[in-house]
Amino acid sequence: MFWIVRILSILAVVGLCFGIQAFALSQTLVAPRLFALTGLYVTLAVSLNLINGITGQFSIGHAAFYQIGAVVAGFLSVRFFADQPLAGPVWLMAMGVVGGLAASLAGLAVGLPSLRLRGDYLAIVTLGFGEIIRIIVLNTDAVGASYGLNVKPKLQFIWMIWLLAALCIAVSRNLLKTVWGLAFLGVREDEIASNAMGVNVTKIKVMAFILGSAFAGAAGAMLAHYEGFINPSMFSMDLSFIVLTMVVLGGSGSITGSVLAAIALFLLPEFLRSAPPVTGSALVAGALSTAVSVAALRWVTHHVHGETRRKVLAYGAGLAGSVTLFLLLRLLLGNVPSLAGISFEASKLRMVIFAATLIILMMLRPQGVFAHHEFSWKWVGRLFGRTNAGVKA
Amino acid sequence: MEFGSIALASLDFGTLPQQLVNGLLLGAIYALVALGYTMVYGVLRLINFAHGEVFMLGAYAALFVSWRLGFSEAGLVSNPNLASSALNLVLMLLVSMTTGAIVGVLIEFFAYRPLRNEPRIAALITAIGVSLLLQYGGALILPNSPQPSIDERINPYRSAVVLQLKGADAHFEGDIQQAQGKYDIAKTAFDTALTREKAQFGIDSEFDLRDQSPRKTVQAAESDLKRLQSEKESSEVRVVIPQGQLIMLITSLGLMLILRWLVMKTKVGRNMRAVAHDFDTASLMGINVNRVISFTFFIGSALAGAGAMMNATFLGTPLDTFYGVKLGVKAFVAAVLGGIGNIPGAVLGGLVMGVAETLVVWAGYSSYRDAIALVILIVVLLFRPGGLLGSSKVEKV
Repeated sequence: MFWIVRILSILAVVGLCFGIQAFALSQTLVAPRLFALTGLYVTLAVSLNLINGITGQFSIGHAAFYQIGAVVAGFLSVRFFADQPLAGPVWLMAMGVVGGLAASLAGLAVGLPSLRLRGDYLAIVTLGFGEIIRIIVLNTDAVGASYGLNVKPKLQFIWMIWLLAALCIAVSRNLLKTVWGLAFLGVREDEIASNAMGVNVTKIKVMAFILGSAFAGAAGAMLAHYEGFINPSMFSMDLSFIVLTMVVLGGSGSITGSVLAAIALFLLPEFLRSAPPVTGSALVAGALSTAVSVAALRWVTHHVHGETRRKVLAYGAGLAGSVTLFLLLRLLLGNVPSLAGISFEASKLRMVIFAATLIILMMLRPQGVFAHHEFSWKWVGRLFGRTNAGVKA
Repeated sequence: MEFGSIALASLDFGTLPQQLVNGLLLGAIYALVALGYTMVYGVLRLINFAHGEVFMLGAYAALFVSWRLGFSEAGLVSNPNLASSALNLVLMLLVSMTTGAIVGVLIEFFAYRPLRNEPRIAALITAIGVSLLLQYGGALILPNSPQPSIDERINPYRSAVVLQLKGADAHFEGDIQQAQGKYDIAKTAFDTALTREKAQFGIDSEFDLRDQSPRKTVQAAESDLKRLQSEKESSEVRVVIPQGQLIMLITSLGLMLILRWLVMKTKVGRNMRAVAHDFDTASLMGINVNRVISFTFFIGSALAGAGAMMNATFLGTPLDTFYGVKLGVKAFVAAVLGGIGNIPGAVLGGLVMGVAETLVVWAGYSSYRDAIALVILIVVLLFRPGGLLGSSKVEKV
């Protein structure tokens, strides 16, 4: 029974990956790229979650591993793809493995100092490592220096990108179900205590870095072949920060959270690209009423206790009040010519909205949207009123 | 990677003192900004990613003041001979520092204070959010394309101070005189030949000379002279410091001394040290922790504002809303290098980084100038995990 379920679910996942590809290709012209990049961000977020959320090693240089994978795989493809017998998908898989191996070597190199450093110092070393990698690539002519590398051939398999994401999720999830996973969590919670319990802290930390960076490297290999062009500026510090944000917003340590946050945070700015321009008065009204609603919702979280119904009512009232405020303000400010006269393009606003989203979510839910919870069918059951379906109270 | 072997011969040791001075000047600004990072980290254990944006806003404040004083593009067209004075600079400095301080305190109050009791990572993400918000939100409002820069005419001190460290070798005097003599003779011969042929054949230019030999002689003599003069110049060791940068260094050092006095000798400074040492105990001892934290942000951000004003005025770099990003990261690295939370450490880290950076450029690896700071940082942290001056105490259970 166990194996039947397992095999069926593996088949389902593979089917789902192909389904995503079929769906993406049937959509608009930009959709396939969005689907592919979303898959890559999911892999990045989940693999960083492994280092950051599950093992508690504060790493903010994830873009470097991504870049190493991309550069190594891209370079090999340019040199050797034409002279070898393998077909495209097989070669891409091999490149994923090679990119992952290269990145995991780098992960080993970063993991070793992590034995001596903690917290913010480790964060800085990883950040510095990321920048150093980028600058070295920027100055290496063999991989295109500052211009970048044209990766030929383009191997665009959305299913493989999502399969990688699924593999990354599966490895993380299964790790947490085993004794090994407990050791990882132990290192996060308390290094000294887990050391006393016989956990080899050194080994666990280095393993976390190797595993996490390997997936990022494989994702990099996919990126290089999907885009057909890589450039050092694609792997700047901002990317590391964005991936870190995905992990924290979703809830450090929660795989579900990382996946959903990656999808949401990647797609949010992309959808805002096509949003209509906003007038100055609407912008100011929006900013003010958002601030008020954040304050109101925070107040509700801290001061309203008791039944769920009461809380929901309070939250609803807060939100409704803010929306009313927004409408009122917009009406009022619409009469101010200096504000109503200017309009801001959505392309300029999207990063502002992204930044505001980060701040608002952190204010309202500092532990991340999912905190340390994971998706489970039981939870879905409870949501639909079936209290603990299998368990007798 | 193409690291050629560093050929020592190709390095120009005559320019080394100049580069060291440049490094110190650069390092002073790093140190000023690093102080803000280190002070905030000291009391809150928070990496204030928005500090670079405080710097950026300080620079913009200086720009607006300079415009207000008439040093805008339009203002200078209508009044091109507008004279500036030291008072203008002081005004800009004060406005920048105030702006920086106010922005820093507001950021702390609205973004960090609500998250004081939450996990530190939440405040860190908020800091990243604030930083992005100020960068992109600022771009909506602040002038950034074309990038404005503060007109250099606002700075009345534009000449340079020249320090002669080592004179030219003595033998150049005689050699140059000799060459000058030769050149004078050749020049006279050439001039006579030119006048003669002009009268005789009616030619227009020296290139039409029938007899080219005087022209060639004078050319050879001139290039000899020029070569000797440049050799003489490169044999002397001198340091040229623009007065503006000297003011920058002195002001930075002055501000650091004031900070030192503030932290070590005043009551509020003692409170600050107490909070940095132990947050909870300090509050039990009757210290108003919130006020101390606000004050820390106030001082740190004012220093960033001062650094921004001086950077934008004396170096004249064009402004945009990402002005503080690169410098912010470097200053932060400087703070960690010196031992984050440690005030003298931040100054030391800033100076070390400034000098290291200019030395890398001097050695001919200018494309690695942004990497060297990080390499030094990693190496230092491997051997001293707490930074140069920081204490690396092991966290206890």
